[in-house]
Amino acid sequence: MNVAARWPAAALAFALITLSAPRAPVAAQSDTVKIAVITDMSGVYAALSGKGAVTATQLAVDDFGGSVLGKKIEVTAIDHRNNPTDAATKAREFFDNGGDLALDLTNSGTALAVSGVGKEKHKLVIVTGGGSSALTGANCDKYTYHYAYDTYALAHSTGANIAAQKNGKTWYAIYPTYAFGTQMLADFGDAVKSQGGSIVKADGAPLGTTDFSSYVLAAKNAKPQVLGIFSAGADMVNTAKAAAQFGLNKDMKIAIGLLFLADVDALPDVFTGSRITTSWYWDEDAASRAWADKWTKAYGGGIRPTDVQASDYSATIQYLNAIKATGGTDPDKIVSYLDGRKFNDFYVHNGQWRARDHSVVHDMYVVDILPKDKLKAPHAWFNIVETIPPNRAFRPESQSVCTKDW
Amino acid sequence: MTGALRGARGRRVALVALFAGIVLPFVPGVYTVFATNLACYALFAVAFDLLLGFTGLLSFGHAMFWGGAAYATAIAVVNAHLSPLLGVAAGTIYAGLAALVVGALSIRSAGIYFAMITLALAQLQYFVVFQWHDLTGGENGLQFSSRGTLAGLSLENDRIFYFVVLAIVALCFAFALRVVGSPFGLVLTAMRDNEPRARSIGYDTARFKLIAFVMSGAMSGLAGALFALNNRLVGLDVVDWHTSGKVVMMTILGGIGTLYGAIAGAGLFESLEYFVSKTAIGDKTNIVMGTIFAIVILTARRGIVGELLATRTPPAPVPEAEPAPLEAV
Amino acid sequence: MDPAYYGTQFFNGLVQGGFYALLALGLSVIFGLLRVVNFAHGAMYMLGAFVAYYGGQLFGLPFLAALFVAPLLVGAFGILLERLLLRRLYRLDPLYNLLLTFALVLVIEDVMRLFAGSLGSPYSAPDWLSGATNLGFTVYPTYRLFVVAVSLLICFAVWFVTERTPLGARLRAATENPAIARALGIDVDLLVTVTFGAGVGLAALAGVLAAPNTNVVPDMGDAIIITTFAIVVIGGMGSILGSVITGFIIGVITAIGAVYYPPISTTLPFILMAVVLLFRPAGLFGKSEGAK
Repeated sequence: MNVAARWPAAALAFALITLSAPRAPVAAQSDTVKIAVITDMSGVYAALSGKGAVTATQLAVDDFGGSVLGKKIEVTAIDHRNNPTDAATKAREFFDNGGDLALDLTNSGTALAVSGVGKEKHKLVIVTGGGSSALTGANCDKYTYHYAYDTYALAHSTGANIAAQKNGKTWYAIYPTYAFGTQMLADFGDAVKSQGGSIVKADGAPLGTTDFSSYVLAAKNAKPQVLGIFSAGADMVNTAKAAAQFGLNKDMKIAIGLLFLADVDALPDVFTGSRITTSWYWDEDAASRAWADKWTKAYGGGIRPTDVQASDYSATIQYLNAIKATGGTDPDKIVSYLDGRKFNDFYVHNGQWRARDHSVVHDMYVVDILPKDKLKAPHAWFNIVETIPPNRAFRPESQSVCTKDW
Repeated sequence: MTGALRGARGRRVALVALFAGIVLPFVPGVYTVFATNLACYALFAVAFDLLLGFTGLLSFGHAMFWGGAAYATAIAVVNAHLSPLLGVAAGTIYAGLAALVVGALSIRSAGIYFAMITLALAQLQYFVVFQWHDLTGGENGLQFSSRGTLAGLSLENDRIFYFVVLAIVALCFAFALRVVGSPFGLVLTAMRDNEPRARSIGYDTARFKLIAFVMSGAMSGLAGALFALNNRLVGLDVVDWHTSGKVVMMTILGGIGTLYGAIAGAGLFESLEYFVSKTAIGDKTNIVMGTIFAIVILTARRGIVGELLATRTPPAPVPEAEPAPLEAV
Repeated sequence: MDPAYYGTQFFNGLVQGGFYALLALGLSVIFGLLRVVNFAHGAMYMLGAFVAYYGGQLFGLPFLAALFVAPLLVGAFGILLERLLLRRLYRLDPLYNLLLTFALVLVIEDVMRLFAGSLGSPYSAPDWLSGATNLGFTVYPTYRLFVVAVSLLICFAVWFVTERTPLGARLRAATENPAIARALGIDVDLLVTVTFGAGVGLAALAGVLAAPNTNVVPDMGDAIIITTFAIVVIGGMGSILGSVITGFIIGVITAIGAVYYPPISTTLPFILMAVVLLFRPAGLFGKSEGAK
């Protein structure tokens, strides 16, 4: 019985496992303020947020001076790979090792997961990229703020803007039959109705449908004034492509619920003429342009920042200001400081950290997508047609379903 | 199971593995919640190895049981307000029942067909989970507020929960070892190596396969339920077919037909993926994992433990054949 | 709902069915001769679409040319993979090659993502195929009619080659009994390589056809590959007729079914698969070697 020969094998296996296990610093250092940008570094949201979000956050830290109250500020990039369980585990580890703020969370599933972790550990989470209105509704929490946009604001800006016009009253909706889609449909329905319009027909398509020709054709035959595309990602692109193919953009106005600058950069011809809502546009005014130039210089490649990336910068600065004002990183003190506070910066106009549900409200912009030949500058795809103030864009406090327990 | 892992020798290896498991969360740098996830994946892979390594059936839809149980547990706790541990029981039972149904449908087929059917049925469950968002939370998933208590002991503490899970995994592993060494297990191996001959001796191979499948499914479900409880949430990732692929890769990496390999493979694979995704090449994690797996398939398909065992001369008096994983058709 | 709407839906079903048929055909042909379940088939489909995209972007490759270039290029790539990697595992259980191709998917898709990103690469139908044709009962996009025509043509061509030409006879012989085929002087190894290349080329062709209508992204194969597996299993693995007929039938049924209950279009293929396997474990047109 060769006993001696076996131990090396077991030891090797054990060593391999422990060595490849994730490392974590032994002692939590309270002399550093730690901010984690938890986002999708390589998948569908990488262009919307991704590395550009980390750049934006680091810019904020640098512009703030690199330290606050004598403590160094450290920005960590965490890739959630669009996996909520992964996101939660990595967020947990981050918080347990002295993390102070989890930022970005593009992808609502991961946003909700990490918000849950923040609730459990009493740590701050600021969601910029994820859009689910559940974050300030059924899943609202003391330690989570929803910063950039949510599905309600998108629907009520685009929907109300178009339905207010004479030729925007009758809508045909193509939406995906999962939670996000049905929520968008409901929100748009309310918004359109509030302006005297109506969604004449709503066609649900399961997620992963690649061929939207039948839906688009049905829409064309129904002859509405507006086509509402309420899906996201590949489904949204495939619907828009089909709509373009069947010539719908000549017959009616196309409203897309969720669309970002990065999407238009990738596929400009597909979205020409569509109307969407954004929380910020790099070319909206001089201050934004100046910041966008700074970001483009830091990130490289000549592209322009998205609203989500800009919101990360803005949120970071606001957070660091809050630390300075409250004398520390205590989350409870910071929440008390922020709740109800009104503020402005290049990203947020007429902004407020709402105490009722932790929705950070601000102006939203309804824009049209310009055709390639009308661009004033590279990546200047948006033409702002209306600015919607926060009291019209965001869910009124009286309608919030957040059971505020703080 | 080769002679190398039977008897006293096998017991010693088991003790070493148990020791490693006990020590793991105390090793500096190892994050406890992650270690518990490792334990859950290890159990998942062991359950999978029972089916692949010992019964010779490759299921490409095992996430159906792991993830289905995770969701069943979450639904039981969040919607039906059961205590978390009852929820785990509910999840395991769901997985067992699902395995019974899926098994009954797929057992008549073998090889590739079996893999395809399990994959397709798992996809069916995925779509149902996705669409039925009132029950499952759809793409948002479900979250637990607490892990509950076990005989009065609160499970909120990550370390305590780890040891509870470790105990469960160890018990299940011991059970799996007993099964493969039992007459039942020997019939399974016989069927794996030559089904027509097993049938000609008089064994109802379909029934044996079904029992093995249900056992594997239920154990995978237990692992998935504990996983959900550990992370206090379920998301669509647990029922995605990529997770089915993951457990296949883990088991093969570790070495099919060895049970210990499943543990090693799960630990290594999961650690590697977690670790790589945090590095500078994190956005290329899939390339790394895919390449490693391809290399293993091409050059070392007996897996880590399999290759280690193969370098030993079996000391048994009766000459035994090396465990040839999945004979060529 | 008027008949014109159903007519349109029927054509939409034919379009989708055409894609299914082309992909299932390639998978089936590869399985028939090589006993390899090519998990990377969806990735090849994606590569075909990207050859069309990059060909157009970098070399001004017109669409019609892409229909020939993409299958050739991707087929060559497939042959490379077969010679270097797949060949080594033929003597083992085919499940190993299935796993190998699964690993290849991870690598190929991720590498493509590094080049192309995940948001989509713009590709549109050529001008001479844009616009719509009057079919009498409705006006239907010309490009889609082209897709149906091409898929039917290619499926017929493959069937013809396999059933009516000497090459096809050799292929069928090698599929039935490689040892005797070799003894008769048929170069089975060459056939195997060519078949894999052709099967993969079919997938690439489907990819080019899909590019104008679908978002061209690195994981565009993921969604369609699982459904294609279901179709191949329903039709009977290794049966060309089975793959083609099932592909078109499933396409049409799901298109019409989606009118009544949209979620059916994603789940129907799997439900059908479960039902078919209960009664015919080898598929509709398959030979009963599936039940061991």
